[in-house]
Amino acid sequence: MYRFFYLLPIIFLWGCSSVSPWERGTLAKSEMRLDVAPLQSSLRSHQYGSREAASGGGQSGGGGCGCY
Amino acid sequence: MVEAVVAVTKKNSLALLIAAALALPLTTTYASEEEASFQYGHYEDGARNLFNAQSGFKPIQVDSIQTNTKLKLADRVRLAFNYTQDTWSGATPVTTAPLAFAGNRQRVIDAKKNILSGASPYLQNDAVYVDSQFNPLQQDLKTAKFTKNNQLVHTLSTASPETRKQGDLRFGYDWDEASLDIGAGTSAENDYNSSFGNIGGRLDFNQKLTSVNFGASYTASETDATLDHDAFDYIKDLKTLGKLKNKFVKGQKKDWSGSLGLTQVLNKAALVEGSVSYTVSNGYMANPYKTTAILFVDPMQKIGKNGELNAKMFAFLEQRPDERQQWTENLRYVQHVARFDASLHLDYRFYHDDWGIQAHTISSDWIQSLGDGWSITPRVRYYSQNAADFYTPYVLTKQAGNKTTFDSKLLPQNYSSDYRLSGYGALSGGLTVTKKFAKGLELQAGAEYYTHAGALKLGSGGEGNYADFDGYLVNAALKVDLATLSMANSNHTEHSHHAHHRASVPAGVMFDHVLPNAGDVMISYRYMYANQAGTTQNRTNVISDATIVNNGCEPRKCFVTPDEMSMNMHMLDLMYAPTDWLTLMLMPQFMDMHMTMRALNGAPPTPNMMTDALGAAIVHSAHEHTTGGIGDTGMYALFNLLKLSNQQLNISLGVTAPTGDSGIQLRDTHKFDLGFIHYGMQLGSGTWDFKPALTYTVNVDDWSFGAQLNGTKRLESHNKAGFVLGDIFQATGWGSYNWTNWLAASVRGVYTLQGSLQGAYRGVYHQIGAMDYGQNYGGRFVDVGFGINASMPNGSLQGNRLSFEWLQPVHDDVNGYQLPREGALSATWSYAF
Repeated sequence: MYRFFYLLPIIFLWGCSSVSPWERGTLAKSEMRLDVAPLQSSLRSHQYGSREAASGGGQSGGGGCGCY
Repeated sequence: MVEAVVAVTKKNSLALLIAAALALPLTTTYASEEEASFQYGHYEDGARNLFNAQSGFKPIQVDSIQTNTKLKLADRVRLAFNYTQDTWSGATPVTTAPLAFAGNRQRVIDAKKNILSGASPYLQNDAVYVDSQFNPLQQDLKTAKFTKNNQLVHTLSTASPETRKQGDLRFGYDWDEASLDIGAGTSAENDYNSSFGNIGGRLDFNQKLTSVNFGASYTASETDATLDHDAFDYIKDLKTLGKLKNKFVKGQKKDWSGSLGLTQVLNKAALVEGSVSYTVSNGYMANPYKTTAILFVDPMQKIGKNGELNAKMFAFLEQRPDERQQWTENLRYVQHVARFDASLHLDYRFYHDDWGIQAHTISSDWIQSLGDGWSITPRVRYYSQNAADFYTPYVLTKQAGNKTTFDSKLLPQNYSSDYRLSGYGALSGGLTVTKKFAKGLELQAGAEYYTHAGALKLGSGGEGNYADFDGYLVNAALKVDLATLSMANSNHTEHSHHAHHRASVPAGVMFDHVLPNAGDVMISYRYMYANQAGTTQNRTNVISDATIVNNGCEPRKCFVTPDEMSMNMHMLDLMYAPTDWLTLMLMPQFMDMHMTMRALNGAPPTPNMMTDALGAAIVHSAHEHTTGGIGDTGMYALFNLLKLSNQQLNISLGVTAPTGDSGIQLRDTHKFDLGFIHYGMQLGSGTWDFKPALTYTVNVDDWSFGAQLNGTKRLESHNKAGFVLGDIFQATGWGSYNWTNWLAASVRGVYTLQGSLQGAYRGVYHQIGAMDYGQNYGGRFVDVGFGINASMPNGSLQGNRLSFEWLQPVHDDVNGYQLPREGALSATWSYAF
């Protein structure tokens, strides 16, 4: 369970943050999304996954092999 | 919530962004709520370093297409559909061995030009030598002297094209401060199938500045592989050290996975996400095409006069544990930099598993806005992993390698020489350019260069440089934001009328209309499936096997005949009107083909496949053949010759560029080069082709009628591979009736005339059936089509059109000997704006 501990600093930040709705224009920009280009990301993940031992980390995965 | 977005029709970007900010949880990765996107990707490895062997094998290359559609079924209900298809071919390492033991055996094709075919994987060597410290010894063939040589080398083997297809569906429901997604999908390839289901959700807190994300998934996979033909003879059985008895490897695997994440907005220009995930896998996790070399040295033997020990090297299928637990921890940070109008993305991932692998990944993207919808994103990524506990380039066992004294218990329980389990680092860098158009259309092109090297590993202990390689990945994507489009189109009556007119044209008809106004754009995605199966015909007659054997392959005899042939084609149709009298059209295509064959009754005896290449080609035809990748690319200009209120006559002039591969070859088998695959399996014509079309359409009340003449004229006498497909002439006419203002049904007749294939492959090519002779291509064909078309006259999907058509063959008069056609399905989605 120690692995979850590093999430704690983020939880602490929770209380510090206050951004009013009219201040959220920048955050709503498409380039501020965590994944700006999901299709491109999935292509890259597939290529990295076929060449590297480490994979995953995304949410709720699943998929075929396509290992070459 | 969503109404807040739709209500904003003024082109005030600040207002739009604020509205979006209020409506959507800031911390999620959701893109537009309704969109359709398409992507093409190509990955290619660089050549591997084989030291003294010069392999003629092409490195592995992969072509991928992906489509993604997100729709809203109701106010809070989302549906997403993804489809992915990869086709790959080329050479990859199958094992690793000391260079002194010569694992890459070559065959000379042309000694004068120093052309070598792909080196056959040579996985066995009964007479190798090591010194008293068990270092490999290289023997000079002239002087017979030994020198120590610890250099390792991969042994390569190549594969014929193979295709994977994956589809998945995902439903989502949104509450004001939460969402839930449930999805399932399946992935199919020749030797590996998997099905998966997943569930994911999000809870928002703190005025949507904080979100908790969670997910779980289950995947069931099945391996059903046939071992490599060239390598099979050399792979040893673990118990007897004899030849492996079974060339089929079957296995099942189950993966359970869970993830938990927390996303936090830090201030008005930054956010951070931390997440953890855990996966537990059980079952068969080895790669059936990877072997590990095992070096047998009898420690009881007397040392030779030159200090050498006799040894034997054999290959075994790699052995991996049947359980794996994987943990991943991610941190992602996004910061907007107002001074440059740019966004910085920083990602770090730590991965570790109970196979002993630890990996660090760090990547950074800088998204720089350039104004006018343009942005450019440089990217850099670094990855480093240490080796799995059971990774070894090869295994040394101190026992004699013969059947009587071999003790498999002296071997490690698990071993693999797969370079992906070795210690190394990888560095990659790339650039992506994106252009957003005002109407919700986005185009993207990206390239990334990737380099893998033992020396790049964090700390020391990386694998030797024999395993280093590089590669590149390019992608091109198109995204349509359907919500933005419907807003932009809401008052565009001409488009509605235009869409209504378009609604009546059958799905299989192209080049049927010119866009009405300068600046108009239309995007279509066309899918086509065609199939041939049944009993081979000569002209219009069904014939016996004996007739095919004797007449189908003149002047020779036929050995096999196609059983079934099918083609899937995905086309993207991009239309733009620079003026109101001219429409330009670009049509990239992606296709895959599939073919099975059977032996003909009464065929001549098959030559021995071990000694005759023709025999190997005939035996190999028992395996299904697949090809896939990018097809030819069409470029057209369309003009109106006549334009009245209810009638149109237009002409389309264009060419197709030979971007599709017309020189695909089969892999080597039984140490023979099988050369080019059957003509009909190539992805492109290989020639520049002229494609004119003349189309007339007329609307009378609820009825619409149309007629078209079109053709394909090959502009070159032969392609690079040596042949040219026959020219095509086609005439078609249709009538359709609008049942309602959104639904129409159509009936169509088609006559097609195609000439036979001329010329022949220049190079190795084994003619085993009628499909390998040019005279057996083309013919005269009549089809009847039944179609249904739906267009959305209003609502959030206004302007979308979806149509389907089934073409039923009614008359096949084939040139020579061919399989009859069973039919073709066309499905088209299009959107004009």
